[in-house]
Parts: sequence; C-alpha cells; structure tokens
Amino acid sequence: MDQKSAGLNITIFFCQQIDPDQDTNRRALEKELGKRIRFFPLPCSGRIDPLHLMGALESGADKVYLVTCPEGACRYQEGNLRARKRIAYTQGLIEEIGLERERLELIITPAGNPVTVDELARGLLAREALIGPSPIRG
Amino acid sequence: MITAERKPLSEIKEMIAPYRKILVVGCGSCVAECASGGEKETGLLGSALRMDAKSSKKEIEVKEMTLDRQCVYEFINQLTDVIDQYDVVLSLGCGAGVQAVAGVFPKVHIVPALNTTFIGETKEAGLWVESCRACGDCKLGFFAAVCPVTRCAKGLFNGPCGGSRTDRCEVDPDVPCAWQLIVSRLEEMGRLDLLRKVHPPADWSKQQGKGPRKIHREDQST
Ligand code: SF4
Ligand code: SF4
Repeated sequence: MDQKSAGLNITIFFCQQIDPDQDTNRRALEKELGKRIRFFPLPCSGRIDPLHLMGALESGADKVYLVTCPEGACRYQEGNLRARKRIAYTQGLIEEIGLERERLELIITPAGNPVTVDELARGLLAREALIGPSPIRG
Repeated sequence: MITAERKPLSEIKEMIAPYRKILVVGCGSCVAECASGGEKETGLLGSALRMDAKSSKKEIEVKEMTLDRQCVYEFINQLTDVIDQYDVVLSLGCGAGVQAVAGVFPKVHIVPALNTTFIGETKEAGLWVESCRACGDCKLGFFAAVCPVTRCAKGLFNGPCGGSRTDRCEVDPDVPCAWQLIVSRLEEMGRLDLLRKVHPPADWSKQQGKGPRKIHREDQST
C-alpha cells in the first residue's frame, strides 16, 4: 500500500531553492490532504535543526522528509551536507526512544531535472508505506 | 570552558523513572557552547522524553527551562517560583551546575543529564579538546602556553621524553607531541632560554588531596 492510502501523516521540510513557486504549488495538495501533509520551506536545507525534526514527530508526523537541492548545487555551499549530518544525528536520538530511524529520511533532488514541490510530494506519497503510524500519534 | 556529553537516554530514564513531573533545566554557558546542555539540547531532551513516554503509554509531564548560568545563584533563583510544581529536576548543567541548584533547593531531587568531561577549548565546529586540568599552579608561562600536564601523555615538566615520531606523541599518534609544540613555539618566540630551567615535580596538593578547593576573595564578597 502506498503512503497516501495508508493514511500516514507526512511532513516535508525542503530547501526552497528547488522550487521558486513552492508557495503556490503546494496549495492544492495542502487543501486535499489537510493536516495529513505539512510543508516547511527552508531558505537552505542546512538550516534544519534536529529540534525541527523532533518537533514534527512530536506533533504526530509518521514520516518526516528533508528535501535538499542536488549534491554540489547548494547555494550556500555546504547546506545539504549539513542537512545529512543533522538527519543522522536525529535518527540516533529517535532510535534511543525506540522509534525507527526510517521515520526520518533525506531526499536529494536529482541534478538537471527540476521538480515542483507538489510533484515531489506526490511522488513521496506514492511510495510504498514501509512503516505504520507512529506510536507518538497516540 | 567546561565540556560535557549527554548520558545515554536509558540511564536518564532510569533516574527519572519514579517521577511524573519533570523539569529539564539547561545552562546557557559552557555546556551550550559545547552543544550538550544549552537551550537546543534541553529542547531535544524534553522532546525525546515526552515522545518516549507517549509511545510507552506513560503519563509524564516534561517542561524545559534554560538558565543563563546554572552555577550562579542569581540565575538559579529563576527556578524558585516554578520548582515546587515538579517532582524532579533533570539538569543539563555541568556537575557544578547540578550541585549549585541542589544547594539552593535542598528538598528537590535533582539528577544529572550530562557527564561532565573536561576543561577544554572549541578547536573547530563540533570538536572540543581538553586543554587544562586545573592543577592550581599554572606553568604555561614557561611552556609557550602549551600545557604539559594536560597535553603531554606523561605530564612531563622537563621533556620531551624522546619517544615522539614526526611530531606525534608516542602514546597516541593522533595527538601532537606537546613537547614538540613547546620547543617549536619557544624557538619562534626566541625564548629557547626558558628550557634551561629545571622544574621540580608539580605540587599536586594545589589540586587534590584536601577535599574541594575554594577561592575566597574578600574584595568580591558582600
Ligand atoms: S553550570 Fe556554570 S560552569 Fe557549569 S556549564 Fe553552566 S556556566 Fe559553565
Ligand atoms: S599548567 Fe595547570 S592550570 Fe595551567 S593549563 Fe596546565 S593544568 Fe591548567
């Protein structure tokens, strides 16, 4: 079953450099899915803080994605590398509380193939649901 | 600065297990600089504990608060109005911070979330190294500001030991030989003459053996 049909709550943090029209592009999906999808644009994926990721999980996300611009394309040089390290750190932390590290995932957008944020999100929703609802959702 | 690392969550959970209302208290100074006990880390720990309790269907209440400095009464006093509402304080201060809070609130159970590790410096982002053992009798002036007590594996005052290889310590090749550093720095400064002095062994009574040390300054007291 895909993640959308499985009714998972998805949170997507993303680097807004990947889609200059992200504000408009994500509206239809937000309307369709309501609270089940949440987008958080970041000026650079390197601005992500483990606190944001924990906050998303704590407020009921089953799966949290952090989407970065393509490798080597970061406008701020190393933001996407930093993003990878923050994800890894937070994965370690959630494992300590018994959550699967797969609840946090880093997505690197492919180079030379621009996507809009809604296309990207639909792609993620269509992925196979490998984890169920989070025990935090209660 | 004092450096510290967070304890494993399992150890923290064991200490707070008997309690329901938990106040997690961070410190905005040394342990914030070494990213173990500042506002962010306090938030992360609070969040982790809440989620952990929720997933194991335990009812607890976790609140966070970060003091600018957890070892100074003026800041600790900010807890006075709230502390009674909690069953335990989980402190992210260094060992001094934990004990300072405990000293002010004798009836409150306060437990450490960190392992206080050493006095050190921030070398680069994400890297802290030990640089002083607080020996109480600083000799950096003779040693080109490279501490042999801390940075020489053998703590030699009259080094080098002769075992270093290509400026690395023979005990741990990852570490530069402190004596190589001392000699090269003195050479740069034109102060190789300082090496002529033969130093007696350190007077450890200034560091240990008499219980807790104390600094009392009349001019600073009220
Ligand atoms: S309690 Fe004091 S000594 Fe300890 S980390 Fe905080 S400021 Fe530094
Ligand atoms: S000589 Fe003593 S006080 Fe000076 S840096 Fe070394 S350990 Fe610290």
